[in-house]
Amino acid sequence: MEISLAALQQATGSFWPYLVVILFGFLPTEIWRVLGVLIGKGLNEHSEVFIWVRMVAAGLVTAVVAKLLLSPQGALISVPLWGRAGAVLIGLLVMFAMKRSIVLGLIAGETALIAAGLLGGGT
Amino acid sequence: MLQGMSLLTPSSRQSAFAHALRGAGDAVGLPAIMICFSLVGIGGLARDVGYPMLAGMLSSALMWAGPAQVLLFGSIASGTALPVAAVAILFSSLRFMPMTISIMPLINEPKRPLWQLLLAAHLISITNWVEGMRRLPREPHPVRYAYFCGFGLVVLGSGTLATGAGYFLVAALPAVLAAALLFTTPMFFSVNLLGAVHRWIDALPIVLALLLTPLATALLGRDYDLVAAGLLGGSIAYGIDRIRRGRSL
Repeated sequence: MEISLAALQQATGSFWPYLVVILFGFLPTEIWRVLGVLIGKGLNEHSEVFIWVRMVAAGLVTAVVAKLLLSPQGALISVPLWGRAGAVLIGLLVMFAMKRSIVLGLIAGETALIAAGLLGGGT
Repeated sequence: MLQGMSLLTPSSRQSAFAHALRGAGDAVGLPAIMICFSLVGIGGLARDVGYPMLAGMLSSALMWAGPAQVLLFGSIASGTALPVAAVAILFSSLRFMPMTISIMPLINEPKRPLWQLLLAAHLISITNWVEGMRRLPREPHPVRYAYFCGFGLVVLGSGTLATGAGYFLVAALPAVLAAALLFTTPMFFSVNLLGAVHRWIDALPIVLALLLTPLATALLGRDYDLVAAGLLGGSIAYGIDRIRRGRSL
């Protein structure tokens, strides 16, 4: 496999990066969307399977968000966990208090995070 | 193209375009800004591994999955074998199947050609899914497809352009601001996901998955934790919902 890939890399030259993105990036992500269309297009909105799938989708999206907060990468590591969790809580509280304003919740959370970063000695 | 359009009368074709434009207009603003913050870093990752700017932009337009793009360029940077990286990307992207399934009944109609559904499905990312689940039920059914495509295309286009811009933006930001930039994605999704919740039962999969994620990371490691926490959190919430509705498990 490795040898044939190296040959392919040689043969494609400057097109290799685009081929990598399509073969090893696009295909393994898009296949799930295609499967989702094939399974979902005949599904009834009120069926039990659909209710379950919708809850699993919400769970999977939440897991991605939770991981970004709990085991962050890059500069966000410099803000301690209490700062990240506290900022999310403050953002959510402001969002609900301000008639579910997403903008105000976002601004409040961001402000809290920057404050936590400065207080936590993150810089 | 013509075959797909033929199911619309001239006037409804015109109105489909109008609704697509309205969706596009609604995406300009917070959703477009947020996706730019999310994907601007991808351009830097592409540059770090020596890929051209257009390859970075192509990854945003085609993969359209921030975490998977981080995985791809991270694997290239660390010299991981590409087929191994592809398997990791495959596992990490499983969420797109239930996300797509749950959007389908909202935008599908009898006679809607398959290629149009595949096109709309390609636009599904966390941003477009969260916004779609929130906005589409408020729209009349016949205009939802056009609205979603207009909205989703603007978000995808913005993210792709931001990836290109990020390629040239050197990481010269102060650490606190760089952290704030990375924080916008989880903060935006937190307020958006929970802001759409009106019944406690809809908050249940979110709360359960949040609690299960650190547990799954500790028990299963970084490769399968997302799938396990999401699947388990969603399924437990469904079980509780069934009991609540008076059905047996």
